[in-house]
Amino acid sequence: MIPDRVVEMLHGPSYLQIGTRDADLRPAHTFAVGALVHEDRETVTVFVPTARAQRILADLESNGRVALGIAQVSHEAYQLKGRYLSTRPTDASDLARQEAYRKTLLEDALGIGYPEEIARPLTQGFAYTPGTAITFRAEEVFLQTPGPGAGTPLV
Amino acid sequence: MELLPDEIKAAMQGVIPSHVVTCAADGTPNASAISQVYYVDGDHVALSHQFFNKTKRNLAENPRAAVWLIHPKTFETWDLELEFDHAETSGPIFEQMDMQIEAIASLVGMKGVFKLKAADIFRVVSVTKTSGERISR
Repeated sequence: MIPDRVVEMLHGPSYLQIGTRDADLRPAHTFAVGALVHEDRETVTVFVPTARAQRILADLESNGRVALGIAQVSHEAYQLKGRYLSTRPTDASDLARQEAYRKTLLEDALGIGYPEEIARPLTQGFAYTPGTAITFRAEEVFLQTPGPGAGTPLV
Repeated sequence: MELLPDEIKAAMQGVIPSHVVTCAADGTPNASAISQVYYVDGDHVALSHQFFNKTKRNLAENPRAAVWLIHPKTFETWDLELEFDHAETSGPIFEQMDMQIEAIASLVGMKGVFKLKAADIFRVVSVTKTSGERISR
C-alpha cells in the first residue's frame, strides 16, 4: 500500500519522472503531467504527453517494468517501482485532473519565490494534451529525498 | 563531429535539475533527479555522484543511462543517451564540479547534504532535441 504522504505528493504539486527500459536494458525517460492513485492504494495512473509516450509504451508493452520518481521543490522525493497494467488516451476527467495539477504546480512555484518568468514556463509550458494515461501497479516504494536515508524502502 | 551542440551548455549549469534513468542488471529501471550534468567536451559529460545510491549501483551493473535536460531560459529539452566510462575523484573536472555543487547546495538550502564524491564521466551515445513537448503559455 502506498503511504499517505506519497499519495498526497502524487496528487499534489510534485514533478513526476518515469523510467523504463528496453530488451537490451537501455533506459528511457519521460515526464508525467498529473497522476491518480486508485482506491486500492496500489494502482497508479500517470498522464504522459502523447508526444513523449512512444518509446516508453514500447518498453512497457514488451517488459512491463516501470519506475516513477516523485519530487517537490523542497527536495522531498519518493520513487515507486512497479508493473505496467494498461494504457488508454486521456479523457475529459483526466484533463480536468491535469488542469488542477498544473494549477497547483504554478501556485507552489510562485509561492516559494520562483520568478514568474521561470515558474510559468516550467510548470505550464510542457505539453499535456493529447495525453496518454498509463496505469501500473506499484510493488515497491522508496524514500528518495537526498541524504543518507535515500533508497530506504517504505513498502 | 561532436555530438553535443553549443546551445545545450546552458542546460548543464544546474539551474534546473536534470533527470537520469538507469537500469539494474535484473531489468528494474530507476528514475532520479540529478543536481548537475557537467559539460566535459563535445562527446562527454559528467554526472555528480553524491551518494552511494541506486543510480551508482545500477551503473556498476549496466553502464547505460538516459538523461533529460531542460534549458533554463528557452525551456527546450534534450534527451541524452549515455554510457558510463569512468569516475574521477580528483583533477580539474572533479574540482570544478565540486565548486558548482557547493554553489547549488547553498542556493537550494542543501549545504552539508550535497557533497561530491566523484565525477562520473560518460560517453555521449546520442543527443536528441525533443519536439512536441512545449506549448506557449
